[in-house]
Amino acid sequence: MNHPTDISQYRGEKTASVSASAEFNRPLLLTPGEDLRGYLVGHGGRIFLFLMTCISVLSVLLIFIFVIREALPFLREQGLRDSITSRNWYPERAEGAGAEFGMLALFAGSMYVTLASLILSVPIGLSAAVFLSDIAPFWLRQVSKPIIEILAAIPSVAYGFFAILVLAPYMQKYWNFDTGANALNASLILSLMALPTIISVAEDSLSAVGREIREASYGLGATRCETMLKVVMPTAHSGIIAAVILGMMRAIGETMVVWMASGNANQIPTPWWDISQSVRTMTATIAGEMGETSQNSVHWHALFMIGVFLLIFTFGLNMISEYFLARVKKSGGK
Amino acid sequence: MKNTRREIQDRSFTFFSSLSIVLMVGALVIILGPMLRRGFSAVFFQGTVEFRRMQLAQFGHGDEEAVADEVAQVTELRQEIYAILNKFQAGIEPSALIDRVRSINREYGQELRGKNIVGADYTELRRRARDLRDLLQDALESTDRELVEANLKSVLQHRADPLYTDSVMAEMFVTARQYQNVIQGIDLSHREQYLEPLLEVKDQLRKLLGPMPGEQAPLLMEEYGATRWDIALETLHDLLWQEQWVTVEAGQELQKQLVRREESQFAGTSLAPMFGLAEDHLTDLLRPKRTIYWHYFTDDWKEGHFFGGVGPEIYGTLLITLLTMLFAIPFGVISAAFLVECASEHISVKIIRICVNTLAGVPSIVFGLFGMAFFVLFILPNLDRKPQGCILTAAMTLAVLVLPVIIRASEEAIRSVPATYREASLALGAGKFRTFMTVTLPAALPGILTGIILSLSRAAGETAPILFTGAVDMGPVPRSLFEGSRTLATSGYYIAVGDKIGMMAPHKQYGLITTLIVLVLGLNILAILLRSRMSRKLRGQ
Repeated sequence: MNHPTDISQYRGEKTASVSASAEFNRPLLLTPGEDLRGYLVGHGGRIFLFLMTCISVLSVLLIFIFVIREALPFLREQGLRDSITSRNWYPERAEGAGAEFGMLALFAGSMYVTLASLILSVPIGLSAAVFLSDIAPFWLRQVSKPIIEILAAIPSVAYGFFAILVLAPYMQKYWNFDTGANALNASLILSLMALPTIISVAEDSLSAVGREIREASYGLGATRCETMLKVVMPTAHSGIIAAVILGMMRAIGETMVVWMASGNANQIPTPWWDISQSVRTMTATIAGEMGETSQNSVHWHALFMIGVFLLIFTFGLNMISEYFLARVKKSGGK
Repeated sequence: MKNTRREIQDRSFTFFSSLSIVLMVGALVIILGPMLRRGFSAVFFQGTVEFRRMQLAQFGHGDEEAVADEVAQVTELRQEIYAILNKFQAGIEPSALIDRVRSINREYGQELRGKNIVGADYTELRRRARDLRDLLQDALESTDRELVEANLKSVLQHRADPLYTDSVMAEMFVTARQYQNVIQGIDLSHREQYLEPLLEVKDQLRKLLGPMPGEQAPLLMEEYGATRWDIALETLHDLLWQEQWVTVEAGQELQKQLVRREESQFAGTSLAPMFGLAEDHLTDLLRPKRTIYWHYFTDDWKEGHFFGGVGPEIYGTLLITLLTMLFAIPFGVISAAFLVECASEHISVKIIRICVNTLAGVPSIVFGLFGMAFFVLFILPNLDRKPQGCILTAAMTLAVLVLPVIIRASEEAIRSVPATYREASLALGAGKFRTFMTVTLPAALPGILTGIILSLSRAAGETAPILFTGAVDMGPVPRSLFEGSRTLATSGYYIAVGDKIGMMAPHKQYGLITTLIVLVLGLNILAILLRSRMSRKLRGQ
């Protein structure tokens, strides 16, 4: 590069050295044409970026459209009433006997494993969040975070593998259960899987509660326990509710673990509290039966109907959690 | 008093909070520890000579001469065991001996004809020989010891007969003599009792040392004995010990006990020494050697994961995951850039955000349904392809699944670039686009990379979405993107639940799932390290 020695270069005048950098001999004022072009390129690019961003909107729409489209024939043929009030799920009966598509036991199965897992994971998750946000020293937090992430990162099929090949034989041998693959087994694993979600969301909302609130409480002579339970956690309740809901979504939507560990028996346990019995969840039904049914049979459409229910559940829960998270954001954690 | 109570309450609160973390670490150790330990034994183990024989024959790994050498060395000792076994079997199942005696008799007839003996002499000699044969055959078939011994004695009386020297008949006497030896120590009246245990013993021997000489294994997995030292020890245990239900006390339930076969089933027989021989010389029989089976990660499996490795699974997983990233990264990063740089709090942006969150919350199995309904049954027929799950559709389904992960991570990364960077660039006269490309994006790149790695690990570990959109249970290595492929995650499911042969080779089951865990956790740890380095840098250390 020639070093510009001549002052005329800065004035945009043509000089002998052609290789002088082009940026400097441009006139400062744009012509109207250039101006328009710049405007169009800027806005065109913006619109292009916007369209690229809309791919996620498009995906959500496509998911709803295509899953519902495949489920519609089922609604037309079987109707909704029978399927959500009956617990008889006999999709592949021989001709004449009439296949039945009662999904009540499947809903119940999903509820059983989800609620049972929440009973375990909510207390543990919340106390872990409290520990991480208020009790643990900095270095311990730095160590704990990756552990939680690893817990979240283990593939669900690996959890299921553990449940069916390690936990199930153990339960059968030492706890004298009829079968190792039961609702309790699935719930234990699901609670582990829901923990990272609950911890990270709850911890965020606890940290968002301002320092001055804590200090006011300590200043009044409250212990850490009282401060956390009576001041900080009530203040952060929106975020905590969102955390529980997100954990619940994780548990409802989980497929591989419940498919492998819950035993897949289409029943509502009697007595109702006995979670050592096998249950079958909605997700496991889809995963287990989709490969065996023929395309466009009623059974096929019924499985898509279950998918629609799952979509509706998770979408509803997601909206609720959005509402609570928005409240956290708006109030700045107060 | 009240203060004491409060203090105790406070202390226990702290205690239980910290307990939750300990609990989580404990759960992690309990889950990962045994699985990884057993999984690593698929690669690091004591391989026997059978393993090296199998590797050479099935996969072409190993030195041919060295293996042949080793096989020759172990064969000698094995012959000893087989000799004891055959001898014992001859006493239990004399049918082989009977066949032999008959054929000797037939050969004798031919021999006589060859010597040109005809007429009355021939008939006479043949009659004598037939008498001997009948005596011997009766002895072989009978279970009455006195009769057997008498018959054998009368047969052996003719041993010295000059008629039979230099004749095939000499062998008949050898057989008789052998049988006399064999039945020492065998209770002939209980001969049937030995049959079943003998079959068991032979089965275990086959499992330990491979098929017996002259046998043809019907299945590939039976062509080799115990390929691993731990399996060899288990098989040896089954060979040596027998489960028995015994009465410990009268009137009480029977109890299961282990007894050595040589002291119960085969006590006092000629088979008894074989057990000791096998036990004492097991190392010489199998020659275990520390083996690192690196080819586990490249070999295809044989016989439903009984032999071989997880090569095609790793290949399929990598292929699908990388393709997923190819689809997801451009959309994800551009979306994130738009959300941070261009978007105001407009209603359309709010909708986009809600959609991203919804997408993140959709259950993975519903992604599978969607992928099948949309990509497989709608897009593929429009491209004039068979509507059948393939690598391409699996990757597209996974791309939709990881899109929110990438968007969120990239958004956070771009947002965390200090505003001063941007302002400095804008002040120097750079446009918005140039500022983003040359200043913001490079600064945010490590964070974006972290998000990409995390979504990579997520895509590699997902099972449910690709069950119907491209993963297959078994099948050849895919040649094009329009074929299904095996992946680590789906094979991990099949080998745990659907595969009977997998149950017979637990080290392969755990090896497969460990490969998946190591792959996914490795990616995660990489992301964690990257992020911690970045946050140190941002803090200015």
